[in-house]
Amino acid sequence: MMELFFKPKSIAVIGASGTPGKLGYVIIKNISDSDFSGNVYPVNPKSDEILGYKVYRSVTEIPGDVDLVVTVLPTPKLTVATMEDCAKKGVKAVIIESAGFAEMGGDGKLYQQQIVDIAKKNNIRVMGPNCSGIVSRDIVTSIYPITKKVPKGNVVLIGQSGLLAAGMASDLVENESLNVRNVCSFGNKCDVNENDLLEYFGNQDDVDVISMYLETISDGRNLTRIAKKVAAEKPVIFLSGGRTEAGARAAMSHTGSIASNAMIVEAAVKQTGMIMADDFTELKDFARVFSTQPLPKGNRVAVITLAGSVGVNVSDLCANFGLELPKLTPETTEKLKDMFDTPVSNPVDLYFSVTKIGFTKTLETTFPDAFRDPNIDAAVIILAGFKYTEEAVQKKIIQKIVKEVGKPVVVCMVVGYNKYKNVIMDEMGKELPVFPSLISGVKALSKLCEYGIRKQKMSS
Amino acid sequence: MTGLDIIEKARQEKRTILTEIEAKQILGEIGINCTDTRLATTKQEAVALSEEMGYPVVLKISSVDITHKSDAGGVKVNLKDRAEVEKAFDEIMTSCRAACPDADIEGVAVQGMAKTGTEIIMGMIKDPSFGPVVMFGLGGVLVEVLKDVSFRIVPIEKKDAIEMTGEIQGKKLLEGYRGQEPADIAYLQDMLLKLSDFVDNTPGIEEIDMNPVFTYKEGAAVVDARIILAAD
Repeated sequence: MMELFFKPKSIAVIGASGTPGKLGYVIIKNISDSDFSGNVYPVNPKSDEILGYKVYRSVTEIPGDVDLVVTVLPTPKLTVATMEDCAKKGVKAVIIESAGFAEMGGDGKLYQQQIVDIAKKNNIRVMGPNCSGIVSRDIVTSIYPITKKVPKGNVVLIGQSGLLAAGMASDLVENESLNVRNVCSFGNKCDVNENDLLEYFGNQDDVDVISMYLETISDGRNLTRIAKKVAAEKPVIFLSGGRTEAGARAAMSHTGSIASNAMIVEAAVKQTGMIMADDFTELKDFARVFSTQPLPKGNRVAVITLAGSVGVNVSDLCANFGLELPKLTPETTEKLKDMFDTPVSNPVDLYFSVTKIGFTKTLETTFPDAFRDPNIDAAVIILAGFKYTEEAVQKKIIQKIVKEVGKPVVVCMVVGYNKYKNVIMDEMGKELPVFPSLISGVKALSKLCEYGIRKQKMSS
Repeated sequence: MTGLDIIEKARQEKRTILTEIEAKQILGEIGINCTDTRLATTKQEAVALSEEMGYPVVLKISSVDITHKSDAGGVKVNLKDRAEVEKAFDEIMTSCRAACPDADIEGVAVQGMAKTGTEIIMGMIKDPSFGPVVMFGLGGVLVEVLKDVSFRIVPIEKKDAIEMTGEIQGKKLLEGYRGQEPADIAYLQDMLLKLSDFVDNTPGIEEIDMNPVFTYKEGAAVVDARIILAAD
């Protein structure tokens, strides 16, 4: 059934409009700009043609099958009437984008219940209301203009937030900072909820990473069961909103008085192997690391730096986030003896090597020797935005070596001039996870290591 | 009477709170070791049970209406002979009748004094969304002030029980700190699995507290227990 939402063969937009700028217009435009090649049926009692598509007066008048209906009607009452039409037509999937339902309380709640009743009776799956639906290459139902084409990536973002579907999607698509396949916002989740989507995307072979934002958990027991299964196969990054101690309940027992909503959600995250993100940036950042980097076998990290002080700071951060900085093997130490004034240690301070053979050459030879060391599972590379980095960045040396060695890295920026720094952030950032701070990079890598170790344990 | 009978009987009596004696019987049946706790309805019975169990003993008020037993003056510990038991029985009755005049009192629970050990708490609560969850933590002040506890969603696996006992901040206290005898951690993990299995297979339980549980080098004993059933 979920397939009808994400891979429909025909789609009707109810509340379609011929006036540019109106919601009902933008959706038709978005669909026409996407890769969707099936039938598009705008529905509006007062128009004849929108963007070259023939307009129908109601769903029931559409000649062929309709896989998916998107409604953007101005009132809940009209939406309920449309649900009845959809039932008559035999539609099985509806996205209700309009607001004014349970989130408003009062009558809105009653209208939402009517929608649920019609859906149940007629075996219709409903996404929303109060949502912006789907953004993907195959189909866009979002009411926000998506100017560029969405990448056919390997990351899915799902959640209870219009920001996710619109704001983040435009950021990700425009800035190419995340290889997104699908963004799905399901609003009030009167029917389709996180469990349906987690299960669906868990079973899609072309989805490698799922990032999820929830403000309420519809069915935690089922979520635990499904997330456990999905997270064993692919990383599920989870940001939970409303995690406050205020969730603690009035209870007769000690156990009950301690159990807060936050503690239970955290327990579920640990138990299922999901990865907890603490803000929206992490939801993206972690997805970026997981979708671009191979999984490490352990948590032994090489810190690659040109400045001692930064190395010290990163070492401390690594310790805080459970990463180890092991010594390199005697073989590596011997091999690199000419490139270090004192025997190579970890953090690997490349300063002496740079003064001797230059930055580019150091990245080409000294860095990979240290990175290949069998004691090392992953690396944190600290870069600065200066003229001397320009050549290595242009030649994509780090990307090449990372690919060749096959271990994960994160790149952290500390100082530098914007003109050099931005190139690293923007250009290298398209291929590698580049972070604007040390702590964000180290934390993201620690999550990758944690997941890698968990997977190792599961397979052994 | 089996555990299920006890639950059934409480439901018929429109009770959601089980007595300590009932709670311990149910837990005992699923293989959780509780201190021997039996009901005495008269002073004579209290003495007879004390002599059978061996001094010292503990007397606790047994009433479905009195949940905060200590606050009502309903707990007397370390009673070493017949005279002390008789005196304690009278004091408990007087004090509880004064504190809770409407309470239906069935008698006193007589139990042997458990050998002290590191205190832990184990429990369960039903979350509206996640269903039953189990909790493990260090007992006493550590649970009340620091909330040093770990939760997992039922059903749990062995791996989860191992993580639960391993992730509390004060786990060093279980490993034997400053000459204290280490706790039988594997035994505690097994208890958590039994608790999870039980609540997973027994609908209608809202909350369980085993607090305190004394841990020993070998095994552990539930000293006080409480079970709350879901309201119909």
